[in-house]
Amino acid sequence: MAKRGVPLALCFVMGVLMAVQFFVPHPLSRYVYENVLDWMQIVSVFALAVGVIGLGRIHWRRVVVRRAGWRYSIATLAGLAVMGILGVVGGIEQGTPYAWLFRYVQAPMQSTMMSLLAFFVVSAAYRGFRVRTREAGILLAAAMVVMLGRVPIGEAIHRAIPIASNWVLNVPNTAAMRGITIGIGLGAISTSLRIIFGVERSYLGVE
Amino acid sequence: MPDPRTEREHGFERPEPRRRLKNEAIARLGQVDRRILYLAIAVAVVGILFRPLGLRIPVTDEVRRVYDAIEELPARTPILISFDFGAPSMPELYPMTVAVVRHCFRRDLRVLGLGLLPEGASIGAEVLDSVADEMGRVYGVDYVHLGYKPQIEAAILGMGEDIVRVFPRDFRSQPTAEYPVMDGIENYRDIPLMVGFASGTEMVLWIQYAGARYGQRIVSGAAAVMATVFYPYLDSGQIEGLIPGLRGASEYEQLIGMTGRASRGMDAQSVAHLLIIGCIILGNVGYLASRSRRGEG
Repeated sequence: MAKRGVPLALCFVMGVLMAVQFFVPHPLSRYVYENVLDWMQIVSVFALAVGVIGLGRIHWRRVVVRRAGWRYSIATLAGLAVMGILGVVGGIEQGTPYAWLFRYVQAPMQSTMMSLLAFFVVSAAYRGFRVRTREAGILLAAAMVVMLGRVPIGEAIHRAIPIASNWVLNVPNTAAMRGITIGIGLGAISTSLRIIFGVERSYLGVE
Repeated sequence: MPDPRTEREHGFERPEPRRRLKNEAIARLGQVDRRILYLAIAVAVVGILFRPLGLRIPVTDEVRRVYDAIEELPARTPILISFDFGAPSMPELYPMTVAVVRHCFRRDLRVLGLGLLPEGASIGAEVLDSVADEMGRVYGVDYVHLGYKPQIEAAILGMGEDIVRVFPRDFRSQPTAEYPVMDGIENYRDIPLMVGFASGTEMVLWIQYAGARYGQRIVSGAAAVMATVFYPYLDSGQIEGLIPGLRGASEYEQLIGMTGRASRGMDAQSVAHLLIIGCIILGNVGYLASRSRRGEG
């Protein structure tokens, strides 16, 4: 009972307290608020530590039992150790070995991985973007206008293309995104209330 | 052997052999090997870097609004710049950060940098230090890098109360409050403008917490794929300007009179977009031909 009751009570008290605090400009309220923000960051740092330990354990176990792809786990562990040690010992500012590795190893590798998307986008667009229905046709036309309108060659082809592209982004896109945002906002309020009042308990591991 | 009379009665006829061959050839357009497509995009993008087209890029209103917001700030005004993106987005976002930081230093603004993603903090340090070196700006006097803090929401909200409390030490592990650049700066009230560069939805948190709760004026730079998310905020005035993707960066470079990576990259992006559109058309022609062939068969 206490195992679930205490977290539920804590959640209720903190939820109500922070909601009320927003409307109370008293120094005590501000003091509580600032301390809660500090604690959020402290807890996050521990969460980061838990993440690093978890990652290390998973990959260490893979190496020990020689599970498929264990060599990649060695690379992960080596990267984790090297960047961690260099950052802690030598610092992270410009001119340090950490910054050098970030600039000349990590950044190019990650940018290269992202750049491969260009090849997959071409292949996927070629195979997947088929006009099977009228709706798909409209989507395709809008995508082509925006793609051309966002690069200078669109303007070179016809002056109306960037204008049409901006219209698609500013009118139908904004209308749709606003609807989605309002929906997300209402969903967030509803979920928050459910959590504060203990209706939603999945964060405790309870279905 | 089907009876041609029956087929005619049902409203269709078998195509002539030549027409059928033509249909088959068109249908094959939808079955190009993906390695040929990969080669085409590689040749197109690399080739255009050697023979640039030099096409004109008109400056859009949303980018000009970012420029104007910075341009109208008096000298020595503090400006907050958040680098909230990682290395995968560097090719797209790095050029705009360089252009904006250069503009800020040229206007003699006091720049406070930070990163709410670990990689973003490192990228921010590199951008600030390299542009400052180039323009003769001094760390601690003209700019400071506050560093990285976990828990984005708590960091943004905390800065609305007291920036030094959230960042007691800077990226170089020195006491933040001791730098002259921090004189008279306690929280968002003392910072007339914030510029956020984000590859994901981190910018939305700045808008919701710094903008909505503390009334912070915000302009943003975003990866092109995320820019669509920010247009409603631009329309409602919650962000005053937007630099979308490499094109936006290229426009900003034009506004400050420099030719950087973004301007050079626009030709490659033009060709890549044209190629993708060509592939979509090709795929659809092949698809329609194969569908009509199936109908005929």
